[in-house]
Amino acid sequence: MSNFPRVVEKLCEASKKEYANPYSSMEWPEALDPEGWYMSPELLSIYGMPEYERLTEGERKKLSFYEAVNFFSLNIHGEKSLVEGLARQLYQKGNQDLSPYLHHFLDEENKHMVYFGGFCTRYAGKVYRDRKMVFPRDYAPGEEGFLFFAKVLIFEEIVDLYNVKMSKDARLAPIARQINLSHHRDEMRHLVFGRNLVKELFHRCAAVWPAEVVQGVRRYLAGYFSATWKEYYNPDVYKDAGLEEPYRLQEAAMNRPEARAHRKKISEGCIRYFLENHILEEEPVI
Amino acid sequence: MKTEMEIRRALHDWIVKTNGKIRPESLTDETPIIEQRIISSLQVIDLLLFLEQLTGKSVDVEKLKPGIFESINTLYENFFRKETYVY
Repeated sequence: MSNFPRVVEKLCEASKKEYANPYSSMEWPEALDPEGWYMSPELLSIYGMPEYERLTEGERKKLSFYEAVNFFSLNIHGEKSLVEGLARQLYQKGNQDLSPYLHHFLDEENKHMVYFGGFCTRYAGKVYRDRKMVFPRDYAPGEEGFLFFAKVLIFEEIVDLYNVKMSKDARLAPIARQINLSHHRDEMRHLVFGRNLVKELFHRCAAVWPAEVVQGVRRYLAGYFSATWKEYYNPDVYKDAGLEEPYRLQEAAMNRPEARAHRKKISEGCIRYFLENHILEEEPVI
Repeated sequence: MKTEMEIRRALHDWIVKTNGKIRPESLTDETPIIEQRIISSLQVIDLLLFLEQLTGKSVDVEKLKPGIFESINTLYENFFRKETYVY
């Protein structure tokens, strides 16, 4: 990791400079404007489908609110397990160069949950439930740690592109733009950390792993892209927005060619990183 | 209302289709589907969506007991038999 200690040092400096108080930095309206957009229409999971085209503008805005709650909810669930994993990595043997930045990473992920949870509980009265489950298994040396950071990177790269688009979208209510921007500001550093760390860990581990472990890791990560995207198509959202046959709609929304093209476009930078660093050898099907 | 046989058949067909490689006759109601990686941990989210659609009920993942996805038998017992409902 010849350059990594310097990268970590610069990330720590930036985190200290950008340090924000989540309890005072957000301007929470008393109530949301029911005529507002809370997610960019083009990012809505059923955008372009006949079911979307049939909606009135008011119904589309209502859908955008629930899709925003879903987007923030899936972030909360991802960040909860991220915080658990980061805490386990703190001061672990071999992690002495990482721990200074891990403190900032942990701190910032907790702050994000304050923003996301604040929106969900204030305006929806809930966080959408998580359907992901983890099954305990045995890992090769270094495999669990590598997969943890690789999964975090995949998750955050997709989220960040949504954050960037929505933070600039003048159609969105100010609170939605502000949350997306605040998240993006920290995520930029998390992604720099992640991209540097994941390739270092893979090159270190893959040099000693048996071939079947490397293949298993590749298969798992390819599947993880798809599993991550599934959370963006939530039948609970469709139910709350008053859409019919929510499970049929979820399946149709996920599997149409336009949705696959959208996911491929959003994921292409991340996939290119995994291919260029030989972590994946072929493009995953998403 | 589906019969027990119809539900077990639906579970069987879903697992075979999702796996994509297993021969239908190789999958029994006792086959350990997670242990044998017939369904991966990443596919459990799809299984939960399918179960919700089949039962018409929402599943709270936090209340699920270990081993619940072990086989078609455990899926039926925990999600469809009223005496042992997981909900």
